[in-house]
Amino acid sequence: MPVDLKCKIAGVEFANPIMTASGCAGYGEELAQIYPLSNLGALVTKSISLKVRPGYPPPRTVETPGGLLNAIGLANVGIDRFLNEKVPFLEQQKTKVIVNVAGSTIDEYVEVCSRLNDCSCADMIELNISCPNVNEGGIEFGTSPKLTEKTVAAARKVFKRPIIAKLAPNVTSIVEIAKAAEQGGADALSIINSVIGTAVDIDSWKPLLANINGGLTGPAIKPIALAMVSGVYRKCKLPIIGIGGITDYKDVIEYLLYGATAVQVGTALFVDPSAPLKIVKGLKKYLKEKKLKSVTELIGKVRR
Amino acid sequence: MTKPTCEDTLVVKKRDLKNDYFSLVLAPFSGAKSIKPGQFVHIRLPSTEIYFRRAFSVASVNPVKKEVEIIFKVFGRGTKILGKMRKGDSLDLLGPLGVPFSFPNKKERAVIVAGGVGFPPLMFLAEKMIERGHNPKQIEFFYGGRSKTELVELSRLKKMGIKLHLSTDDGSAGTKGLVIGPVEKYLKKHLNEKLKLFGCGPEKMLKAVDELGLKYDIKGQLALEALMPCGVGICLGCVVPLKAGGFARVCCDGPVFEIGVVNIAC
Repeated sequence: MPVDLKCKIAGVEFANPIMTASGCAGYGEELAQIYPLSNLGALVTKSISLKVRPGYPPPRTVETPGGLLNAIGLANVGIDRFLNEKVPFLEQQKTKVIVNVAGSTIDEYVEVCSRLNDCSCADMIELNISCPNVNEGGIEFGTSPKLTEKTVAAARKVFKRPIIAKLAPNVTSIVEIAKAAEQGGADALSIINSVIGTAVDIDSWKPLLANINGGLTGPAIKPIALAMVSGVYRKCKLPIIGIGGITDYKDVIEYLLYGATAVQVGTALFVDPSAPLKIVKGLKKYLKEKKLKSVTELIGKVRR
Repeated sequence: MTKPTCEDTLVVKKRDLKNDYFSLVLAPFSGAKSIKPGQFVHIRLPSTEIYFRRAFSVASVNPVKKEVEIIFKVFGRGTKILGKMRKGDSLDLLGPLGVPFSFPNKKERAVIVAGGVGFPPLMFLAEKMIERGHNPKQIEFFYGGRSKTELVELSRLKKMGIKLHLSTDDGSAGTKGLVIGPVEKYLKKHLNEKLKLFGCGPEKMLKAVDELGLKYDIKGQLALEALMPCGVGICLGCVVPLKAGGFARVCCDGPVFEIGVVNIAC
């Protein structure tokens, strides 16, 4: 009997629960050279801001045990070039497209979201209110429940399709932020963005990142992210997309058991661009072995 | 861009080139035949401590045997593990990646500047040029290192019939001093000829070659090195600043760039 990997979030159906995490797959062009993007549940784009952002000077990344510290600086082409240069390509891809949006003011979020509302290619948007690296790139919105609600509500007014709020782990209570996003009208939550971190060279005594602080991603943050997914799932009704350190299908199952409906694969793509394909294969095998018909049967089924 | 292949390969040959330099031949790699000089392979290390791949420019290929050769010096954690690999060990290879060198016109004299461990892609370039019919006597290969022990594969380079110009910082082989001195001297003498510069090595050397190219109005290309988490253009971690402003990814906008394009920091 064939197993069903399909999942649904806010009325949008995905071929499987495996998405790429924002900032880890560009605008899809590079991955599409390696395999058809139809293998993905969804492609989540790099954060799009109102204006083009060149990003931070190098060094932008540092390898740490089980992870990667990065301070890219939300480098992106800006909404104009995104619509002109990237959307025509994305329209050809047989996968769902989630456009991640970053802004330095609520007006900027609104402007970008409203432009995306007219772009049918954006099946959903994901509001980046949690980039740890760029002051004006969201984190100030995502660490205050009030501003979270306000930002989501403002985007809600101009974007008519589903909105995902991507939450930061560096907050006192992620549940409070999640509830604020729900209050503002979010349809789903992405949990979590990267965790603030830094590293220093013990010979030169200089920070290893030009930006000093960066966002930690990769297997090192998986337990942190899982606990946050679990906490929010119990207190908030919105569907959750789990993110953080997913490398193989076993990681995905953990996230689903703790309440995620889908997941995003990020840093693992850097080690193996084909990781999503292997994960999908592994998931199918697991479901068969466990005699489950649908991947959705795992959601929130952790035995507490 | 050729579609990169990701495959498990075996170490089929290992040579100790002394002074921490090693050559590994990996096979079978179905992407081998499409690898061009200047391109690199991204290698996943069999280690739980190291998560990300390491990029190595290719030193030679054998398309028939599907072999890929890399030459490296044990320097950090990654190369330390690679240096301990033995014949029969398995390595996961992703490639070919990156923009290759463009071959010079056969009438042009190639002035190749190799610094230390930057020589493998340039040796590959010279080999392929000759294979394509370039006269080896039209290839001036400047190879510099700290001392005699840092210059490896000399007999292999000599066998190619190219004009080899060695230099060492301590004078233990060839001209004493940095490689760039003899290069400039050569360029000055041959300004009336059609020349093309190629360089790979430490940043200081690359910057000097870049400056020579601009000073004497000689076109050419430089192969850069960078820490690359992904190697395929999606992480934006390996960028270098451009003279015209903005950044370029070393992994897929490079690693080979035209002289005068990159703002080389050092």
